[in-house]
Amino acid sequence: MIPQTKDGAAARLVTVFGSLGPRREKWVHYIFDVGEPPYSEITLPGDGPVRSIAREIPAAAWHERELHDQYGIEIVGHPDLRPLVFHENWPDGVYPMIDSVDGVPWANREYRFLQVQGEGVAEVAVGPVHAGIIEPGHFRFSVVGDTILHLELRHSYTHKGSERLFEGKSPVDGAMLAESVSGDNCFAHAVCYSQAVENACGIEVPSRASTIRLIGLELERLVCHISDVGGLCTDVGFSVAAAYATRLKESLLQASVQCCGTRYWRGVSVPGGLRFDLDSTKVAGLVQAVTRASRDFSDIAHMILETPSIQNRFETAGVLSQEAARDLAVVGPGARASGRDLDVRRDHPYGPYGNCSIEVPVTHYGDVMARARIRIAEAAVSVELIQQTAKSLPDGSVLNPVAAQGDLQGFSAVESPRGELCYWIQSRGGRLTRCHIKSPSFQNWPAMPLAVEGNIIADFPLINKSFNLSYSGCDR
Amino acid sequence: MIGDVIERSLRERSPLISVEALLGNCDGSRMPEILADRLTSAIVQRLVEVCPTAALSMEESEACRCLQLSYGKCIGCGKCMEAGEGAVVPAKHFTRCGVAKEQTVRLWDVDGRAEVTPLAPNPEEARGVIHSLLQRALNVRQLDAGSCNGCEAEISALTNPYYDLERFGIHFVASPKHADMLLVTGPVTRNMAEAVKATYEAVPAPKLVVAVGACGCSGGIFAGSHAIVGAVDAVIPVDGFIPGCPPTPTMLITGILEVLRRRIAK
Repeated sequence: MIPQTKDGAAARLVTVFGSLGPRREKWVHYIFDVGEPPYSEITLPGDGPVRSIAREIPAAAWHERELHDQYGIEIVGHPDLRPLVFHENWPDGVYPMIDSVDGVPWANREYRFLQVQGEGVAEVAVGPVHAGIIEPGHFRFSVVGDTILHLELRHSYTHKGSERLFEGKSPVDGAMLAESVSGDNCFAHAVCYSQAVENACGIEVPSRASTIRLIGLELERLVCHISDVGGLCTDVGFSVAAAYATRLKESLLQASVQCCGTRYWRGVSVPGGLRFDLDSTKVAGLVQAVTRASRDFSDIAHMILETPSIQNRFETAGVLSQEAARDLAVVGPGARASGRDLDVRRDHPYGPYGNCSIEVPVTHYGDVMARARIRIAEAAVSVELIQQTAKSLPDGSVLNPVAAQGDLQGFSAVESPRGELCYWIQSRGGRLTRCHIKSPSFQNWPAMPLAVEGNIIADFPLINKSFNLSYSGCDR
Repeated sequence: MIGDVIERSLRERSPLISVEALLGNCDGSRMPEILADRLTSAIVQRLVEVCPTAALSMEESEACRCLQLSYGKCIGCGKCMEAGEGAVVPAKHFTRCGVAKEQTVRLWDVDGRAEVTPLAPNPEEARGVIHSLLQRALNVRQLDAGSCNGCEAEISALTNPYYDLERFGIHFVASPKHADMLLVTGPVTRNMAEAVKATYEAVPAPKLVVAVGACGCSGGIFAGSHAIVGAVDAVIPVDGFIPGCPPTPTMLITGILEVLRRRIAK
């Protein structure tokens, strides 16, 4: 069943999800990337047992657990079907995507963590509430001395039932909810959702709108990478560099307010284009701010990487092997730092990316330093893209209104700052009946335990930061 | 090298925003302001229809027909500004941060075309207490009860050189046991409800709790989801509410100071 790339290798798994058909029959959808357009989608009936593909493709393991939790689909041969989405509080046998979810009673079911046994093995439980301004998640370390033998993740603390909340909305109105799936990447979510609706309706976005979207998407990447490099400095106690990075980030957020009215480009993208036009002189002002910040960032990033104590902490910490990145279908900067040459902008271009030549930095070291270098290199590429596109900003309208009537189905993928983000939507009679969100964080979290194995526990915050995964994006 | 970074940093002019420019500033939040003299029944009806989180609603009583705006529910989407034919504009000044829940709500008499809400808090009063605040330190513990991380991004920004929350003697601590104030973001999810209660219990009395963002104040865009319990005050007692989706750093500072002012005024 698994498609192949043109070199004969197994295609990369993008996502697995369920849906309900018009007669409330269950379907299971698998989406693969064969390395070139289009994405390959396979749909199987889900009313009976479905064979697990997690043993051939470990990347499918969490997806299948989620499918089981949400739809009650029987997955045969899965190595680990413990609940993923809901914790002890959720009763067995209630499946939120098919059952009524009014007044679901509180339960107290059991959840077993994996136990690592042996002489000198100790367990360290961290979270869900962590020390810092950060999202909740649980980490269960098994350690010998300071060395991590095994890390087990438990997530979904921020699970808000977002996918179900889309149901019943008009496809035009869903962008707002998409913005609240992962707040710091809200523009990528809004654009990806909007594109899924546009693809479903078969409409073109005016070129001015798609060009402004590109600027917003690259700006979001730049902000995210600057913030991450600063965050890495925080985690090794290099506070001057960290403060400098927060200052650059803030300058870009304030420039965004001048340009589009909000700091994170919320409420800008809608299906069909943009909700309002951005004044060309304001866009020019934003580009100036980007140019200034990027010059400072490139200088400071160079100084940071030249600092011996930084090299000492970053190099060889948290190595993710290329094999592990491949098996778990890791995406984004984390994949590219481990030798995986993937980028949606180049491989499955959308909007004006088809007309740009996108340089995709790749390195094979797979450690914290590699991820830091990838982010710094990508930030420079984003700046170049912003400067180039802003030079030739097309005129014209920014909205091609969408009449999302009838039965629709659409898919879209975007290279968000954290990697490949996908939306799959379906509507009947002008109302959404399904919206699946594959967030890059959901895909990448299972790789973290492999990267920290053998490292000391004190390096965990640094390694975690180097992946910069979203908890809310993962949990949805 | 470290020396280069420090030297570079010292060369920059400080971007610190003055207290005067911070308080009441809401740039970038798109909080709506109603121009009462432009309200008509038709506009009000449209506003109520377009609002995705029911932040705008009609409250009809024998005394008056009122347009109600609950800032705690507002996600700043700007739809009311598009539909309001000039009757709704982005607020230039917003002081309903850190206030009691009833103060996050405003009412306009549609027929009389006038606001009928008690007045908003005056941030100048908050300024007055800053000097007394400077004599002490406030330890804040941020708690994510299920947020989308938009509020976290803005709370993190409070420590950057523009806002520098530490200048008020306020700083973030790692443990609830060291905290005087909990800054709680997000709708409280089912999966976090227990941890939220435990964290609240761990904060030594006297403690202050601030609900941050539309989700923390009301559930926001996630209100009604099967996977959430509700707003923060559905789970633990809340002393002040800071609206916004997400609230900007200036709104957060205004709100935190207002909660303190109200505490001291008690």
